[in-house]
Amino acid sequence: MWLPALCLIVGLSLGLMTDITVPDQYSNYLSIAVLAALDTIFGGIRAHLEGLFNEKVFLTGFFFNIILAALLAFLGVQLGVDLYLAAVFAFGVRLFQNIAIIRRVLIDKKQKNVEM
Amino acid sequence: MILLKFKRKALISFVCVLTGFMIAIQFQSTQKPDIRETRDVWEIRKQLQTEQKKQLLLYNQITESERILEEYSEKSEQEQLNTLKESTEVLKEKAGLTEKKGKGLLITIEPLFENESERVESYPSITPDLLNRLINELNTYGAEDIAIENERIINLTPIRYVNGKTYVNNHALPGIPLKLKVLSPNPKRLLDYVQVSESKDYFAIEDLSLSAEIKNGLVLPGYEGVVDLEGIKVKEQAEAGE
Repeated sequence: MWLPALCLIVGLSLGLMTDITVPDQYSNYLSIAVLAALDTIFGGIRAHLEGLFNEKVFLTGFFFNIILAALLAFLGVQLGVDLYLAAVFAFGVRLFQNIAIIRRVLIDKKQKNVEM
Repeated sequence: MILLKFKRKALISFVCVLTGFMIAIQFQSTQKPDIRETRDVWEIRKQLQTEQKKQLLLYNQITESERILEEYSEKSEQEQLNTLKESTEVLKEKAGLTEKKGKGLLITIEPLFENESERVESYPSITPDLLNRLINELNTYGAEDIAIENERIINLTPIRYVNGKTYVNNHALPGIPLKLKVLSPNPKRLLDYVQVSESKDYFAIEDLSLSAEIKNGLVLPGYEGVVDLEGIKVKEQAEAGE
């Protein structure tokens, strides 16, 4: 459990140190990509806790979600509709669901430990 | 089994690093840069100088006001009245509400190529833009008071284009030739400036010529309208740098 957190911190510091910035018009894409990535990670944690973790699903989900979200945002820009909001909404809902399930699983585990 | 676990951990770590990286970049991109002091020494020095000048000017004004105040308090009622009248006269003259005599330039605006027979006779007219440009230029070169024909130019004088005619102080200008009276403490210098000014070229484009001569005893009429200062406020802060 500590390894992902550590890696997240490493990634954060790496990004902050490199001083890379994205032009304003592309920040939409990146924000959606970040959401997709977070969704994938929480999905992965949930699957792990439920014992359903699959590397292939995890890795393809990560890239596929990011690409799909970016595509959706791109399409939205071309059509003049804020389509990226759809992706934001979908990922947001899934994030909440995943986190709720993780919480429940953790609580269940703790209760089981206490009962034992 | 151990290999599988290691593989899984590596995968998760990789995705986490990537995610962290993206978050960091997004964070940096959306963060607004701090407003920094970007003026160089020269600009700061310049601003300091203007502020010092302003201070000096203000001190002078304070001294002047104090002197007037002293005059008020020391003298009798009749004399107070006189002082008051004096100050209003001074202010009126400053605002351009009174007639003013002095030395300066008489600028004549005439049609260009008037005597060339092969040219089709044209009736050039003067546009507000042209007039504005000329007045701005005269002011930069040190003109103190300007009058176009019988219209005194004050700080609030409007120059507008209405129904094909140029209006100054809400009165239509007569046709060409026009005479401009410009008062200046140093007419010779002003004349030199006018003779090489850009305005001459711009007037030539419109088939107009500018000619100027120094005259003593020019009489400028006072401004006749009502000075409306409603809706005008003092701008407190000046921009730095140039």
